[in-house]
Amino acid sequence: MNSVISIENIKKTLGNREILKGISFTVERGDIFGYLGPNGAGKTTTIRILLGLFQADSGKLDILGQDISLSETRRKIGFVLDSDGLYESMTAEENMMYYSQIYGLPNAGERIDKLLSMMDLEDRCKDKVGTYSRGMRQRLALARSLVHNPEVLILDEPTAGVDPSGQIEIRQIMLDIVHKENKTIFLSSHNLDEVQRICNRIALIDRGEIKLYGELENLRPKMGSGAVIIETVQNIPDSLMTELKSLPYLGLKEKKERTLIFSPREGTEISDIIGFLSSRGVKIEEAVKKEASLEEMYAAILKEVELS
Amino acid sequence: MRETYLVILNSIKNNLRLKIVLIVYIAVTIMCVLGITIALYFFLIAPEMKTGLPDKSKPELYLGLIMYSTCFISLGINLNSLAFQSMTREKSRGNIESLLATPLEAKSIWIAKSIAIFIPGLILGEVLTLITLIAVNYIYFVPEIGFIFNPWLAVSSFLAAPLIYLCLSLLIHFIGLTGKPATGNIIVQIFLPVMISLMINLAVRNILDITSWSFTLANLGIAVLIAIIVIFLLPRLTRERIVLSR
Repeated sequence: MNSVISIENIKKTLGNREILKGISFTVERGDIFGYLGPNGAGKTTTIRILLGLFQADSGKLDILGQDISLSETRRKIGFVLDSDGLYESMTAEENMMYYSQIYGLPNAGERIDKLLSMMDLEDRCKDKVGTYSRGMRQRLALARSLVHNPEVLILDEPTAGVDPSGQIEIRQIMLDIVHKENKTIFLSSHNLDEVQRICNRIALIDRGEIKLYGELENLRPKMGSGAVIIETVQNIPDSLMTELKSLPYLGLKEKKERTLIFSPREGTEISDIIGFLSSRGVKIEEAVKKEASLEEMYAAILKEVELS
Repeated sequence: MRETYLVILNSIKNNLRLKIVLIVYIAVTIMCVLGITIALYFFLIAPEMKTGLPDKSKPELYLGLIMYSTCFISLGINLNSLAFQSMTREKSRGNIESLLATPLEAKSIWIAKSIAIFIPGLILGEVLTLITLIAVNYIYFVPEIGFIFNPWLAVSSFLAAPLIYLCLSLLIHFIGLTGKPATGNIIVQIFLPVMISLMINLAVRNILDITSWSFTLANLGIAVLIAIIVIFLLPRLTRERIVLSR
């Protein structure tokens, strides 16, 4: 069984507000699944449903083929919530030991040492968590989420409020967790750059609906081919500019001295643009196809939603 | 069961780390107990002793009033200070939400948190009541009329009163978990003084003899009543309600 998390048509209303309007997606084993969306989109509600903290009004949810209401299923999940839930008056080691005991692992000393060392916290493991920086707390929360060797990790913005170097460290740890510890990560994040860097599959939620879902690499072409940047040897004559503008399938967007930027329509290849320019006697110095970034996809989706 | 025990131990440790709250709690409790004992001596015991050697019923009544008040003062202040502080802190820092995402059941967390507050209060309450029983006897009664002790009074103070306190602790932790911890605090602040005043008034007016089984039964009745309220509310103790109340 490859599907680790399977959500089908999940709906959830809180008070009078429909938070989730029938969302569906699947997270496969070994995925780092990026769950994106603006504030109030329904990300935290989804996470709470995944962790069994909220009950869905309707729909089907399977985690590792089991019902999340079973404590046995919750034993297989590690988590970091938006509030880390660490005990400030306890040391890192005590926090870890407490959770290992809750998960029924009274002699987890060796694993705790290994995890604290993995998170680069071994030197501060006897210090009270109240003295930790935000980055250290997040790393400790990640270590705690792994103490019982779960199969899947559900992380709610683990790099929020962490400085850039701390974010890099946490991202590297997440990659290590997937590649070295063979885990699956469900990562909710605002940070598009982070998702783009480490996730292989994403879902974008807005106003309780999944707007975009799939393998990140497969999604880029769907969202438009990105920009084509062409640098010419000589300046483009005005007559040619007028002709280029009259051909919408080429999607000329901008001209900066000898640089032309195109956003071609679906089906138009970079070779079509080069061929057209060459047929008009334009000598091309360089032609680059820039992939659509996640940020562009995200912005395009949200703009589409607003227009509709 | 094992996990509940773990949460109890951890919560007690964490509560005992609230040093300032603990110091204030113990100091206020001792001051209140001393104040009530001294006031009762000057207004009730001393005038009675001046009129000659009374029969044992009056000293038993006064001792009962002191012991009963001592027990509830200690327990009540404990609920007001420790329970409120720990619940507010753990909810705001996400400790409770994190525990709910583990295999622990909401009911286990609720029971564990209630017992973690109950145990220190119980120990201090019982110790202070015992000290009061011995001290009041040796200071006021032993030189004149001997050691005063009544078994029903002991049952009321050492068993029935803590039982009310346990049920109350379960109730206010339920309210604190599923709603605002301050609401539970307000309930304690209103319920305990009203209940103690009522019971003491009934005893002083000889409507309910504080040294009789009926007084013990009345206390047990109050405990059962609170327990019934808790059982009635129990279906509302869900993870979702706890998380949303944060």
